[in-house]
Amino acid sequence: MSSPILEARELHKTYHLGQVDVPVLAGCSFTINAGEFVAVLGSSGSGKSTLLHLLGGLDRPDPDSGDILHNGESLSTYTASRLDRYRAETVGFVFQFYHLLPELNVMENAMLPGLVPSGIGSQAARVRAELLLNQFGLAHRLEHRPRELSGGERQRTAIARALVNDPPILLADEPTGNLDEKTGGEILDLLTASHEQGRTIIMVTHDETIAERADRCVRISDGVLLPR
Amino acid sequence: MYQPLLTTRYLTSRMIPLLAVAAVALCVALVIVVISVMTGFLDMVRNSGRTLMGDVVVDYPLHGIPDYERLIALMTAKPEIDAATPVVDTWGLLRMPYPAGDAKESTQVQIWGIDPVSFSQVTGFDESLQWEAVPPGTASGMRTQAIDRHAEELILALDQESKQRLLTMTDDGALEGADTQVIDKLIDGQQFQDWRARLQSLSSTPELLREAIGEERWAVLHSDLPRLLDDRLVLEEGRTLLRNGEPAMVSGLHVSRGNRRTRQGTYEIEGNGYWWMPRFDAILTTIPITSRGGLNDEPQSIRLPFANEFASGVFLIDKTRVMVPLESAQKLTELQSRKGRLNGEIVERPARATKILVRASEGVTPYELKVVVRDTYAEFEQTHSPDAHWAPPAMRSGSGPEVRTWEEQNADFIGPVEKERELMRTLFSIIYLVCGALIVAIFWAIVYEKTRDIGILRSVGASRSGIVMIFLLYGLFVGVLGALAGIGLGWLVTSNMETIHESLSMPPMWLGVALLILAAIFAIMTFRASRTGRLLPVLLGSLGTLTVGGLGIAELLVRQAGGIVLWDPSVYYFTEVPNTVDWPSALITAGGAVLCSVLAAAIPAAKAADIDPIGALRYE
Ligand SMILES: Nc1ncnc2c1ncn2[C@@H]1O[C@H](COP(=O)(O)OP(=O)(O)OP(=O)(O)O)[C@@H](O)[C@H]1O
Ligand SMILES: [Mg+2]
Repeated sequence: MSSPILEARELHKTYHLGQVDVPVLAGCSFTINAGEFVAVLGSSGSGKSTLLHLLGGLDRPDPDSGDILHNGESLSTYTASRLDRYRAETVGFVFQFYHLLPELNVMENAMLPGLVPSGIGSQAARVRAELLLNQFGLAHRLEHRPRELSGGERQRTAIARALVNDPPILLADEPTGNLDEKTGGEILDLLTASHEQGRTIIMVTHDETIAERADRCVRISDGVLLPR
Repeated sequence: MYQPLLTTRYLTSRMIPLLAVAAVALCVALVIVVISVMTGFLDMVRNSGRTLMGDVVVDYPLHGIPDYERLIALMTAKPEIDAATPVVDTWGLLRMPYPAGDAKESTQVQIWGIDPVSFSQVTGFDESLQWEAVPPGTASGMRTQAIDRHAEELILALDQESKQRLLTMTDDGALEGADTQVIDKLIDGQQFQDWRARLQSLSSTPELLREAIGEERWAVLHSDLPRLLDDRLVLEEGRTLLRNGEPAMVSGLHVSRGNRRTRQGTYEIEGNGYWWMPRFDAILTTIPITSRGGLNDEPQSIRLPFANEFASGVFLIDKTRVMVPLESAQKLTELQSRKGRLNGEIVERPARATKILVRASEGVTPYELKVVVRDTYAEFEQTHSPDAHWAPPAMRSGSGPEVRTWEEQNADFIGPVEKERELMRTLFSIIYLVCGALIVAIFWAIVYEKTRDIGILRSVGASRSGIVMIFLLYGLFVGVLGALAGIGLGWLVTSNMETIHESLSMPPMWLGVALLILAAIFAIMTFRASRTGRLLPVLLGSLGTLTVGGLGIAELLVRQAGGIVLWDPSVYYFTEVPNTVDWPSALITAGGAVLCSVLAAAIPAAKAADIDPIGALRYE
């Protein structure tokens, strides 16, 4: 079970601010095997989130500058709609600021990825979201709006949402960045549990102690990825 | 499908989209009301045509068509023709016998000589007769005057017993507990005027009066007022254009000054009621045309009593037309059958009619009928007896009789109204642009506010077209809700047009008072809110107070000034305001509003699809 699920090859990403070019990634290469739990470390502004967005198909690298392979398939060959499907089926995102839809309740937020065209469908999503939310101790919160929840509860809802389509890969961008130590620990427990079920997890953090929970750590520095 | 879930949530969780719904609803309602009134107006024009003059008219003014009876007989033999009737029409002067002062007013009128039986088969004349009985107030006034005329005869005939009865009936308390001797004394003491006054005080209670004077004198009293004895006579005399067996006229409701339209839309009799169906005759005068087409030196006059009045609902006609028996009109215009001299021989010149009104059989359109009428007239020309010394006017000669449908007859009136309706429809469609702009603005703000939501949706696999769908669906919801509300509102306003019109022309007092009370409540609430120190409630409260208070004051001022008359029958042709919704137009309008909303929503939807998910998700 050491086949590479994600592979980055010489990734470049440059932002353009008016006349100024801001190079963020300048030749990132690495391989992540299926079932790995990898922590990405780096200082603020080093490009951790940028990397995660590229891996999750939310953004594309600079043209003709590197590529991402998923199970050997190049994301650069994907059409827009194939990329939409990739985001729905293959990856799940967890963000630092939870990013729940304020108008939807906990249940509806968690179900959301199941409702997109390549999702598992509303019936299945309902069953699975309820199962996950129960596991995460949110059974009594299903009808609540996000603003009525604590930070930890919000992040647990966000994780349930990321897992509803049962994607093989979970991308977490500082999932504990906004939480206290104890709550953060609970969130990490959930991620670890999910990892133990065989999910590949890539977690961005700048906290060394949190990175301890991962199987492997890498560090971004000056736009390239170094093993720690 | 996540779109319906989000759309309904976006719609119900905030107030701004409801503003868009309200805007759509108002636009739709406005267009529906305007178009419905105009369509109703056109329908009224078309329907009034049929009730006023049937489907097709053969017109040969001034000279008239001779031997029209044979033409009508030929016509009614055709299966396409239901009925046909001759008319002699001309303009003349009507000298009204107004009772007050010496002034006898003359008005210009259109005189229509009709044959009432066949005329009622072609037109709605029968149903347009206004009076079915003598109004009670008028009846008692007429009786009071009759008592005056017959006072001597009535009082002399009263015996001791009936005098005693009359005394008790008209007792004002003087007879309380009196014995026979006192009553006898009272009877002796009564003067002529006292008896007359006592009789007249009973004129509004005919049954008591009848009992007091007895059957014989009751009959005498009504000898010249048969209509008071038999209500049916009023309608019957109108239908036959005869009064007491003599020719009489039926005038349009607004020809005389005697009738006033009330705010409820009914008619009441002006003044003391004396005016209703004057007992005096009116004089009709006209100048006939000679057989050579010139004007006769001698004006012709006839004197006719009033049999009834008619209300066609078309103001212009009710104001200017009087119906008289065909023979009377023929005499006025010298179109009656006459003996004349031709090549030294005395010959009979047949009577003529200037119009033949024709009614189509069930299912025959006016245009089909027109062809049949033309053919029938040709037949009439061909079958003319060769040895007669007169000939029917040739239809194809250019100056001969013309055959026209009601719509053609009034084309210069109906045409502009139809064009006006189209113009209105087009002009009012422009308000959809306003509506659309409002939707664009509101949705744009919502897209801006929902940028992060859009980023989230993209991150869980929503496509760009999926995002577009959210806002198109949103536009559809707003459009459909607005259109439904608009149809409801438009229907409410249109079908209550008469009430709204009435209340505008005399706004009820309570409305003004209620508005002022509401303004006072707003003012108190605003004052309370001002102590919380928040600006918005104070601003809204002040605006509300001013608006509602201003409306209340304006309402009372309008009331003071006697109201506003929006639908002036002399301008709008009809005395009624149309009040039925033009459903086909309403549905087109509503559909247009929905389409417009969706199209307007497409612009912000495209912006939403172009949102970069990374930028949307980067920050809290
Ligand atoms: N859309 C953009 N336009 C211009 N510059 C950008 C854009 N997005 C990111 N950057 C820049 O790219 C750099 C890397 O950003 P990124 O968010 O990936 O860093 P990060 O490592 O996640 O930092 P943090 O730990 O603070 O989240 C930053 O300097 C940022 O200013
Ligand atoms: Mg970051």
